Amino acid sequence: MDFDMGQKATDLRRELRDLVKAHVPDDYLGAFTDNPADLETAQQFCRTLADRNLLCLAWPEEFGGGGASVWEQTVVREEMWAHHEPRGAQYMGVNWVGPIIMRHGTEEQQRKHLPPIARGEVIWCQGFSEPEAGSDLASLRTAARRDGDGWLVSGQKIWTSYATMAQWCFLLARTSWGEKKQQGLTIFLVPMDDPAIQVRPIRAMLGPHHLNEVFFDDLRVTEADVLGTVDQGWSIVQDVMSFERVGIARYARCERLLAAAPTVLGERWDDLPAELRARWVRVLTHCRRARLMAYRVVDLQSSGRIQPGDAAAYRIAVTKLDQDSAEVLMDIAAEVSRDAPRAKWFLGEVEDHWKYSQASTVSSGSIEMQRILLSRALLAGAK
Amino acid sequence: MILNLGDDAKEYGKQGLRAFEAAGGDQLVQQAEAKPELRESLAGPVLSELGAWELDPRTDADGLEAAAALCRSAGYWALPYPVAERLAKPTDLDVDGLIVVADNRPSGAVAGLELDWTAVSLGGARSAVVGTGAAGPAFVSELELSAIDEDGLGDVALGLVLPCWTLLGMLDRAMELTIAHVSLRKQFGQTLSSFQGVQFQLTDAEVERSGVDILAKYALWSIGADRPEATDDALALRMSAIEAAETVFRVCHQLHGAVGFCDETTLSWLSRYSQPLRRLPLGLSATRDVLTGRVGGSGLTGLFS
Repeated sequence: MDFDMGQKATDLRRELRDLVKAHVPDDYLGAFTDNPADLETAQQFCRTLADRNLLCLAWPEEFGGGGASVWEQTVVREEMWAHHEPRGAQYMGVNWVGPIIMRHGTEEQQRKHLPPIARGEVIWCQGFSEPEAGSDLASLRTAARRDGDGWLVSGQKIWTSYATMAQWCFLLARTSWGEKKQQGLTIFLVPMDDPAIQVRPIRAMLGPHHLNEVFFDDLRVTEADVLGTVDQGWSIVQDVMSFERVGIARYARCERLLAAAPTVLGERWDDLPAELRARWVRVLTHCRRARLMAYRVVDLQSSGRIQPGDAAAYRIAVTKLDQDSAEVLMDIAAEVSRDAPRAKWFLGEVEDHWKYSQASTVSSGSIEMQRILLSRALLAGAK
Repeated sequence: MILNLGDDAKEYGKQGLRAFEAAGGDQLVQQAEAKPELRESLAGPVLSELGAWELDPRTDADGLEAAAALCRSAGYWALPYPVAERLAKPTDLDVDGLIVVADNRPSGAVAGLELDWTAVSLGGARSAVVGTGAAGPAFVSELELSAIDEDGLGDVALGLVLPCWTLLGMLDRAMELTIAHVSLRKQFGQTLSSFQGVQFQLTDAEVERSGVDILAKYALWSIGADRPEATDDALALRMSAIEAAETVFRVCHQLHGAVGFCDETTLSWLSRYSQPLRRLPLGLSATRDVLTGRVGGSGLTGLFS
């Protein structure tokens, strides 16, 4: 066994930390705040990464990527999430939109969409969830009805991250009804500047410019906008989910904040209640556990041995970690003197972490869905 | 990155599983409980045949992985023998095995065995075990110690980690038995496994078991790579393993219902015989206290420390 990622990964981690230090303000809490400068920071940082061929490091070279190992890509995910995802919304394009288009897109779609993602020039949003279709995604009602040689799409999406700033939408719509509700769904790649699309922001504790409703009113789409096969979109959704389940290295931000706590507290650290310091150690151990479980999923995925339960077990562990660490950090933050060095930074980070973590067991597949997936895998073994 | 045991170690673990089953499987622990003095004759020959005592986990990387795999297999069958403790023996003393002990009431699951043991405290103080008290549940006896030296710090990590592999084998089995049980047992005209309340309990237990699996591998690697923080990694594993055992056995007992407490049910034996592994040398709170004190504000080695 060998749990050392190797020198290349270490060097890459150092390079990324240097870039973050040089290009991202210390108090940056993500691209979706009320301060427009934060979005600009993310846009600029993506171009900086792209210039160094770091934005799409793991993509194959033929698609403008760096052809790097999955472990180098893991380092990128960890460092970006630990530092509040300075790629902004573009992490989605890099993490899964691009790779999915590589797998399922036509040559024309690949030529059209992949280079802008690789250059850090485009933001995508995901048109999946609807008011009546959250965890039960296949029940969605947004419909694409045949009209000449194309379709007209009408319906409503909700909880759509980054829709106000996105140029493209990865849209899931119903094109027919099959025996099962998972049949008859189709993926369309649609431009967000079409007048038939309206976006309404939803202010929330996750960030004032994060969540949105998106309305489609007879949006015209054609065969050229279809990703994969008409009516066969559900298999692509499964593919998207498998990327999403390891796409965010939540454990890395937890660990960064937990590791910073003793420094911020300084000499007062030893005066903390022993029980709180013990909780801190416990959740640090859970950070390690989640990180290693993520590595196991990455390893299984890269070798094609991944089973549905593997990613689900990791997702359950890491989303619970997100919330457990947030509670411990909030308790520690209450002990920090407001005039201590780095106190402002730490308190801002911790409050943001706590707010964002509340959604971790809900977004990208709720923890209940993960439990269903994992239990199916466990019980299938008994049959 | 290689996140799994090597093929040879995995195969050795499978051989262990088959050999323990052939030697009596679940009956072994029941026979040993009735007559603890039979522990050696029940388990010793099969371990010798497997070449367990030729493994050299302290100096040979393959031997280390094979030892871990064998401990896991022993745990799966609740083998009534201190395999991990014997495999953890120090290299510089002529003894049969090593027991990590607490400063207070040093104890080990050694009843019924006539072996030469060295005990080591978490602080590295080594002692010869010169006598044992009356046997309690699960073969546990208090140990009478005679000080040897203070040179045992390097012995501690392996002495903590291998028993966690044994406990992991018990968790593997407990989950396997429970999944089989809920897939067969019917209530209200349906198998228990069809109830979401049952399914979700199973998944919570499995996440814990799965977490111990990867932490156990990490801690083993840390020892093999001679990392300075290997003892902290061992304690972190131990803390998680005890927590996981609490969840897994609670869920498994609950889902087995009353039959899970019966002597005819293997879970009952696993649960009882997991106790020494969970309480010795220290239980959950004390293990967490020791780890917290050791790491101070530096925490565990990770991405940001």
